[in-house]
Amino acid sequence: MIPRFAHARPGSFDEAFAAFDAAGGDAAWYAGGTELLQVMKMGLARFGTLIDLKGIAGLAGIAGDDAGGLVIGGTATHREIERSPVVHAVAPALAALAAQVANPRVRNQGTLGGNLCFAEPHSDPATFLLAAGARLDLRGRSGRREVAIDEFLVGPFATTRAADEILAAVLVPAAAPGEGRAYEKIVFRERPAVSVAVRVRVADGAIVEARVVVGSMTDVPAVVAGAGAALAGSSADGGIAEDSLTAAAEALARLPAEDDLDGSADYKRHLAGVLFRRAVRAAVSEALARA
Amino acid sequence: MIDPRDPGRSAVPSPIGERVPRRDGVAKVTGAARFTSDLAVPGMAVARVMRSPYAHARIRSVDTSAAREVPGVVAVVTAADLADVHLYYGHALADHPLIADGVVRFAGEPVVGVVAEDAITAAEALELVRVEYEPLPVVTTVEAALAPDAPVLHERAAEERPHRGFEERIERDHPNVCSTARQRWGDIAAAFDGADLVVEGTYRYPISYAFAMEPYTSIASWADGALTVWSSCQHPFMVRDDLARCFDLPQSRVRVIVPFVGGGYGSKSYTKIEPLTAALALRARRPVKLALSIDESILTTRGDGAVVRIASAFDRDGGLRGRRAEILLNTGAYAENSPLVGRKAANRIAGPYRIPAVDVTCRVVYTNTAPASSFRGFGAPQGNLAGESQIDEAAERLGFDPLELRRRNIVSPGESLWPGVRGMDADLDADVCLVAEQLDWWSPPAPGRGRAIGISASDAGSEPVTTSVVRVGADGSVTVTAGSTEIGQGSSTVLAQVAAGELGVQLERVEVLQSDTAAVSYDRSTGASRTTTLMGLAIAAAARDARDQLVGWARDTLAAAGGGVEETHGGVLADGTFHDWGAVVRAWFGGAYGEVIGRGYLRREGATAAMPPFWEIGCVGVEVSVDEETGRIRVERLVTVGDVGRAINPQLVESQDLGAAIMGMGMALGEELIWTEEGALLGGSMVDYRVPRASDIPAVTTLLAERGDGVGVYGAKGGGEGALNPVAAAVANAVRRATGVRLREAPFTPERVWRALRERDFGDG
Amino acid sequence: MPETVELGFAVNGRPATVRVEPRETIADVLRERLGLTGLKVSCDAQVCGACTVLVDGLAVSGCTYLAIDADGRTVATVEGLATDDRLSPLQQAFIDEAAFQCGFCTPGMLMAATALLAENPTPTRDEVVAAIDGNLCRCTGYVPIVEAILRAAKAAR
Repeated sequence: MIPRFAHARPGSFDEAFAAFDAAGGDAAWYAGGTELLQVMKMGLARFGTLIDLKGIAGLAGIAGDDAGGLVIGGTATHREIERSPVVHAVAPALAALAAQVANPRVRNQGTLGGNLCFAEPHSDPATFLLAAGARLDLRGRSGRREVAIDEFLVGPFATTRAADEILAAVLVPAAAPGEGRAYEKIVFRERPAVSVAVRVRVADGAIVEARVVVGSMTDVPAVVAGAGAALAGSSADGGIAEDSLTAAAEALARLPAEDDLDGSADYKRHLAGVLFRRAVRAAVSEALARA
Repeated sequence: MIDPRDPGRSAVPSPIGERVPRRDGVAKVTGAARFTSDLAVPGMAVARVMRSPYAHARIRSVDTSAAREVPGVVAVVTAADLADVHLYYGHALADHPLIADGVVRFAGEPVVGVVAEDAITAAEALELVRVEYEPLPVVTTVEAALAPDAPVLHERAAEERPHRGFEERIERDHPNVCSTARQRWGDIAAAFDGADLVVEGTYRYPISYAFAMEPYTSIASWADGALTVWSSCQHPFMVRDDLARCFDLPQSRVRVIVPFVGGGYGSKSYTKIEPLTAALALRARRPVKLALSIDESILTTRGDGAVVRIASAFDRDGGLRGRRAEILLNTGAYAENSPLVGRKAANRIAGPYRIPAVDVTCRVVYTNTAPASSFRGFGAPQGNLAGESQIDEAAERLGFDPLELRRRNIVSPGESLWPGVRGMDADLDADVCLVAEQLDWWSPPAPGRGRAIGISASDAGSEPVTTSVVRVGADGSVTVTAGSTEIGQGSSTVLAQVAAGELGVQLERVEVLQSDTAAVSYDRSTGASRTTTLMGLAIAAAARDARDQLVGWARDTLAAAGGGVEETHGGVLADGTFHDWGAVVRAWFGGAYGEVIGRGYLRREGATAAMPPFWEIGCVGVEVSVDEETGRIRVERLVTVGDVGRAINPQLVESQDLGAAIMGMGMALGEELIWTEEGALLGGSMVDYRVPRASDIPAVTTLLAERGDGVGVYGAKGGGEGALNPVAAAVANAVRRATGVRLREAPFTPERVWRALRERDFGDG
Repeated sequence: MPETVELGFAVNGRPATVRVEPRETIADVLRERLGLTGLKVSCDAQVCGACTVLVDGLAVSGCTYLAIDADGRTVATVEGLATDDRLSPLQQAFIDEAAFQCGFCTPGMLMAATALLAENPTPTRDEVVAAIDGNLCRCTGYVPIVEAILRAAKAAR
């Protein structure tokens, strides 16, 4: 059962920080609560006060920005993202991913902001957003700072967010001309066993840039630089060169991994390779369509 | 027995064989159905349990002083506080203390119980309890437990109890062997020496968790030295008897009441947390509810995992000459019902085949893991994976169609599988052909797909010991009392159908009162697929007893002296006039009141003298595909045959067959509990234990075979477990046909399949 | 004294007021304070769906949803599906298709199906499966549940 805690529901950022201070810092923000409440139930975390962010209007909603990218409010749920026309237009792979997170109830209740702040190593959105180069808008008492997601996720259940900072929005860049983004995962139990996100940019029928991220295998989603580099320069029209794919797969095969209930390290590396091929094909397809 | 097809004067149609809507339907779809977890009694307090973090340790000290001081705490209880209670229970071996007694034998064993006004107070109080442990060496696998220098889990031999389900003394050839069962006949050496082909292999079946969705829950209440317990359990009379023993009470002063049970599957057979709950209530001097979580339920009862070494000897013409097997069951820290599971595993690995020589030993081994007990299939699935895989392997090597090899060796109706047992009361050949036809056996599957058929025969029904009372009132309505529990199988419906059919009354006028040991007469258990068959027989006997009395009453009161009374459907003809049963009751009592009490007894006698009471058949077919990139198996098609003699309610049989087969599919594809060497359970929650979901379900056909060949009413036999037994082997055999790889360790996880595919392609695993 | 909060919300169309601790889940409050024991708690980890309850029409895991988050909202449970003692078409379909055995998953399944049909009155079989893929059933093998939901959708047309 959930241990006892005090509760606050601020209506603004200022009220939120005041509530945090009133709790003497022994407080946690929550929105959906799907992960936070679960770990509290399991006795793995405890807070004197829980502060509900759902009453702060500025945290809700999904909009496009002036550069054709997305501004996803910290309390937007996976369901809202799945159904958002602007997400479908700007990052269809993100909408598709949101539709596959956990189960319908978690999607109704859980938020993207909460998911990123909880920093579960098996997070679907974190893996994709790392490939997409998302940035995060963090609010503290002294104002706003923006941080790349690469610098936000630093360890299992660990981010560079200060405890009293609120994740106000997730900023997803627009797909540039010729850019495609894809996400593939394989699930054996509840959480993904392995996932791969790929962003490619294609010009003149060749891949000019690629970013490959593997999720669920390491403490944080991992950018596999060698795989991205191996793809760069490969032709994209009429299928990707096999030797590029093989070189990329070799980079994936060197990923650190641990044996766990989902499989041995070897097997998971193999799956990463399988998912990588599927994700690359999908990303290149989208890229060519946008070229 | 009245032939239900004779309408008689009352012209009430018989519900036998009808897909009557379930009686518990409205309650379950409106949320009105009450389970033990929904109940509360006045003055009730709530209990929580502190569990050992160590898999094997001596308890050096327990300090509960701070916990006792917490406001709202009513009692804090350890074994030391229960000197007036017989701590050890167990219907086969009384080796299980209701709370840890000086030593803990698995991580998760209850050590301290706290009773408080509410759950959060109990939880907070538990945090203040300090226990000091002295860790002992741990064994978690059967191999480790059987090593010569292995730590001994049970120093003292436990008392053997009469309800273990078989007659032989329990044999133990190693301190960590809980029991040994053997099955032997014929000349095994000659069988193997003269064979043209011997197939050998080692197979593994997972440690499973039944995942009854309602966790174990009990409420205990003492009043005037008598005990009442409500519990989510399958066998209220067995629990009653264990409670009576623990607390030195006459059985008549212990009442066990079972409302709807949210899933059983055997995992709620026999006694679980009831003695602990009653002990807490005793010390608390208040009624106490102990509601476990699912995570705690996983640590309370699981299914036996198995290692099976098997060899089968064949003639080149396909005749199965002999089968040898050594089965090791990992039964965890306490015996529970595993001695019987072991007995049945030894009996059932021969399959439904005519085998001149068999030599099987099954050892049930203690380990420092959660206790294993009954679980659907009950020793059959473990051996079936091995035995049925071997049939397909032999078929391949001898050049036979696997269906034809089975048909060549299956016993015929009436033939005994081994000396002294009831002849086969099923036409297995017909069953297997039904499945084959439905599966399009003789046309090749699509590329990348494979098909297989699997079959099992289980000595089921447990003991034919039961009773029932059928009461017919002055208005002709009927009350049936039955000790059977409603665990989802539909007993509350099918037993009403039997009574209505036997008495010729409308189904709507029959009420069944169940599973309250004070209000209903004795029934051994709800398990071993026995309820429709054996409780059905008891109800039929009680109905006949009622009818016999009523005919006599009619003779006394409704016919002129010397006049004729003739029994007919739904009543009597007295001097040519029809009187329904209610009229007879009223006439005899001389007013508008009264009741006849019909009693039915069942024991090993007459039709139920031969054992087993019936053979439970499992006959399934599957078609699978394999994603060779990931190793993931998908079951594309599933066919089951419910060979139940007579389906009193066909809907219920089909429901059970589908549910059982899907459960078997779960263990074939992904269900597995894994303990570390140190005795910690990896991922002991539903986040990690993967049961089938809606998207896993194949295209399904559930067939019925009704040949009237069972001992039960209208020729019925039991079902509900059979369809689970052959699924794992069928999947393994189908995967072999689809990909050429032979899987021997269930569950056939994607990784295991992938490794087997690599072995096929590269010679490395 | 633990901090308590007064909540007001509509349950099955009727206003309910209850004083709760913040830590109490909607499952706790429905089952223990309001006597609505139709919702069941099984896995307690948001996996099995036995505790599915609708808040403003959206299915959530009652075991991990704070009651205070339902303040001012509408909550729908299985007890509200029948009107004037008449079963809803969905409930009737579950009976007609025998889409239950032990019944412990049934309230959650019904609420998941209710949410689906409210949003998508003509689901395909695949859409039904996706909508209940997060609701576990250990007894039935799911086939009759899918059939029941499709049957109810058809009956409503």
